[in-house]
Amino acid sequence: MDTTLLVQALVSGVLAAGLYALVSVGLALAIGVIGIVNFAHGEFFMVGAFLAYQLFVTFGIDPVWSLFIVAPALFALGGVIYTSTIRFVLKAPELNQMLLTFGIGIILQNLALLIWGGDPRTIAGISYRGIGYQIGGVSIGLVPLASFVISLVLVLGLYWMLSSTPLGRAMRAVAQNRTGAALVGLEVNRVYLVAFALSALLAGIGGVMIAVIQSPTPVVGFAFTLKAFAIVVVAGLGNVRGILFAALFVAVAESLVATMVPNGDTLRNAVFFAIIFAVLIRRSWRTV
Amino acid sequence: MTVATSRKAALEVRGLEAGYGKIQVLWGIDLDVAEGEFVAIIGANGAGKTTLLRTLTGLIPARAGTVTALGRSLRGLSAARVVKGGVGHVPEGRQLFPLMTVRENIDSGADYLPDARARAPRNRAFVYDLFPRLKERERQLAGTLSGGERQMVAIGRALMSDPRLLLVDEPSLGLSPALSQSVFAALKQINADGVTVVLVEQNVQQSLLLADHAVVLETGEVKLRGTGAELLRHPRVREAYLSL
Repeated sequence: MDTTLLVQALVSGVLAAGLYALVSVGLALAIGVIGIVNFAHGEFFMVGAFLAYQLFVTFGIDPVWSLFIVAPALFALGGVIYTSTIRFVLKAPELNQMLLTFGIGIILQNLALLIWGGDPRTIAGISYRGIGYQIGGVSIGLVPLASFVISLVLVLGLYWMLSSTPLGRAMRAVAQNRTGAALVGLEVNRVYLVAFALSALLAGIGGVMIAVIQSPTPVVGFAFTLKAFAIVVVAGLGNVRGILFAALFVAVAESLVATMVPNGDTLRNAVFFAIIFAVLIRRSWRTV
Repeated sequence: MTVATSRKAALEVRGLEAGYGKIQVLWGIDLDVAEGEFVAIIGANGAGKTTLLRTLTGLIPARAGTVTALGRSLRGLSAARVVKGGVGHVPEGRQLFPLMTVRENIDSGADYLPDARARAPRNRAFVYDLFPRLKERERQLAGTLSGGERQMVAIGRALMSDPRLLLVDEPSLGLSPALSQSVFAALKQINADGVTVVLVEQNVQQSLLLADHAVVLETGEVKLRGTGAELLRHPRVREAYLSL
């Protein structure tokens, strides 16, 4: 077996894990705090990617700077969607909630298809995309490395926010007991609003990075919803540290299969779902 | 209540109606509580006691009627705003934060109220004085406590909001008789400290002994009113609630 190839696959997997973790913590935040399984989460990610693309095409804004425009824009979009739809289904059956978020996802996706069409869009001609480092035959691109570092900083920042700030304490209180939170003077709806908007913001930042890493189409979001969902399931709910490890595990597995297995690239997505199957079946043994 | 007209009203409820979905639970409740009083609301399961408290604090919306607490109308206010106005609520089922420590749970009562936060050290000392066991368990997660300890945390958390009116829902539920006694004694002490207390209880004997006034709730209406001593002697109460 070619060791360099193996190490390369491992490194690529680790670097990809950052972005997966970033998208997953946003999804987990909405599930954990609000109790909403947001199937439109990946579409926030897609909207972030295409906003970055459009900002580049129309105004020539480098994606590094569009991060600072896309983040508040997605926070606002999340807030608007929460206020106009999600807050009305908080007490509805879970199936209705999922259908609602699924529908929001389809609307966002088709709006994007209408505006940008189905072709992959590339942010062309940014100087740093080609930069990479060679360490003993293993190459590390600057862009994947930067996306890994930014993602890690944001995920750890979220962890710190949840564990050590008044807002984070309020989110944990609301997540653990809604009635209790209201009775200590928290406006539960406002905390939900901030959590949902923050969740969209994190996905949007991930989207800006995917717009540089790949050439996304408007359907890029749903794949990420499912991957994030897989990671959250593997991690167990309400567990930021678990998400880091789960993201690492599935991203490395994906990368290894894609690189080491003949024709493995076509199996990328299958890896995620094989892992969910295995984890869920394993858990059902443990609880019997 | 016709007594105690000289004292200011802590709570004034008129024609209150509320319910869940298509089911109406409260049918025109009138209730007066003077400042500093200890009032008990007794009644069987399903009489509407918990619904009454939940409507007072805005956890469920009122359908008709008015509620004035501490000189302020509560109609249409969120629970958070009611609490900010000096009304504490020890809810049914305690509603603690299971993954936070005892200390975090207790402090949460003051964390979101600027006035109460300033007085948090004093109030926390009072709570630990009232329930020394909580001091010992300060760092334990609330989810790992016994039922009695959870009840103490719930009361402590409500006291941290520095309430002038405290609504307490079934504190003796699930507690041993000895533990109920100490919870009732604590409520009496809180009342003696100047906090108006409205207690909902199925332990009729105990709450009538403690209360200045009491009302009997049946199927969402007030059926009897009187002082605690009067109701203890009342034939209907003795038959229906004390099995005498």
